[in-house]
Amino acid sequence: MSLITSGYFAPVSVREVLSLKRRLRDKALIVAGGTAAVQLISKMIVEPQAIISLEKVPLDYVKMRANSVEIGATTPLARLIHRKDLPDALKKAVESIHGLALKDMATVGGNIFTPAPAGDIATALLSLDAVLILRGARGTRSVQLSKFYRGPLQFNIKPDEILTAVRVNRPPRMSAFLKQTPWKYSGPTIASVAVGLDLDKNGKTRRAMVALGGLTTHPYRAKKVEKMITGKKLSEQLIEGAAQHLTDGVEVIDDALASSWYRMRVAEVLFKRILYNITAGG
Amino acid sequence: MRIRFRLDGQSVEVDVKHTETLLRVLKDRLGVGSVHFGCGEGSCGACIVLIDGRPRYSCLTLAGYVDGKEVSTVAALARDGELTEIQKAFVENNAAQCGYCTPGMILIVRALLEKNPSPSDEELFDALAGNLCRCTGYVPIINAIRSVIKR
Ligand SMILES: Cc1cc2nc3c(=O)[nH]c(=O)nc-3n(C[C@H](O)[C@H](O)[C@H](O)COP(=O)(O)OP(=O)(O)OC[C@H]3O[C@@H](n4cnc5c(N)ncnc54)[C@H](O)[C@@H]3O)c2cc1C
Ligand code: FES
Ligand code: FES
Repeated sequence: MSLITSGYFAPVSVREVLSLKRRLRDKALIVAGGTAAVQLISKMIVEPQAIISLEKVPLDYVKMRANSVEIGATTPLARLIHRKDLPDALKKAVESIHGLALKDMATVGGNIFTPAPAGDIATALLSLDAVLILRGARGTRSVQLSKFYRGPLQFNIKPDEILTAVRVNRPPRMSAFLKQTPWKYSGPTIASVAVGLDLDKNGKTRRAMVALGGLTTHPYRAKKVEKMITGKKLSEQLIEGAAQHLTDGVEVIDDALASSWYRMRVAEVLFKRILYNITAGG
Repeated sequence: MRIRFRLDGQSVEVDVKHTETLLRVLKDRLGVGSVHFGCGEGSCGACIVLIDGRPRYSCLTLAGYVDGKEVSTVAALARDGELTEIQKAFVENNAAQCGYCTPGMILIVRALLEKNPSPSDEELFDALAGNLCRCTGYVPIINAIRSVIKR
């Protein structure tokens, strides 16, 4: 048995996944919902000797604690759709992904790895300062999502590790997610913006997380903008000024779906819309 | 590898490759006619089947996934030649022209109404977002579905 290195494996625990990973190394492809991974195979982008399917691994759960939310990596988006207790940005990102079959298949964990125009869930989680829980041969570690992306399809994950959960500690009091697609239902993301905010009693920003999706292979945090709005009241002047720096130092995707110029303008509009909604709402 | 599963109530056993999609196995190996290839990337819904009652794109499902599971296609819906309510509504509303999208549409509607017998328009459009129809312009399809929605 331990000599078999090809085939379809459906392990029933994280431990079993890890021992398969150790044995098969880069010969195996992890498949969660399969919405992206199976395309890699059928389009012959990869030719894995083995499949490790996560379908039977018990990572399909949502745990709400006093001041944190933890979601198992293989939780399908459909599981999140009717939950009122999730942060708004995450709820809206889930709602923005359409199609009954897609929501039943696509997992939260898989979305973290899936490049633009996907990654809406990852964008929302970035604005909530989420942490990823990774398990490997040498135990469990956690990595901030904002430190997970190292470049296009390059992640801060070791070959022996898998993602087991995402966790939001101290969710911000306010959060929002907006995305623009060329058509309403099931269109690809041109740009998406997610913002997580805590205001103090004087209306000044105590903590700001601004995440942008669809503009680059993986979503990123606009650190300059966050700095500009932290410690200040959200005035029109501040919002308009900050919106000019959303893509500082970033090379924005320019392709058949939208030019980089257009993506940047859309991101600015979405960012401003979110902040004006927040300031108008009190 | 050898997999065993139930296909529309019948036990089947078939040898598959670990990288083979369920769509290929159903169409090419088992001769299932109602499951269609449209895009191979989850965009059209022509390949949808129900697996243990839940809708899945068979083009994005590896055959190994259905080992020990129950796969249902639209062919299993009619009982003794009697169409289901949704199927009749599709006929009455001319909701099928070429029919390529119809099996996937019917299965998605079935899965939706099972969970939510009276969906709002928003819920209906959201559910159907992954099913393309190149012929009808969707109006007859939506009319057919509305006619069976319990209000
Ligand atoms: C028609 C269509 C429309 C879509 N629309 C949207 C959209 O509007 N917005 C959006 O954000 N996305 C969209 N997507 C993308 C989809 O949401 C993502 O593909 C999905 O979340 C990926 O999850 P999955 O479980 O299917 O991942 P898989 O396809 O199973 O895996 C994706 C990648 O992640 C790796 N992986 C998965 N889970 C783990 C884990 N636990 N540990 C380590 N590695 C792992 C796999 O090895 C693989 O490389 C769309 C996809 C399709 C097909
Ligand atoms: S063939 Fe599967 S969705 Fe188009
Ligand atoms: S009837 Fe022809 S594609 Fe829908």
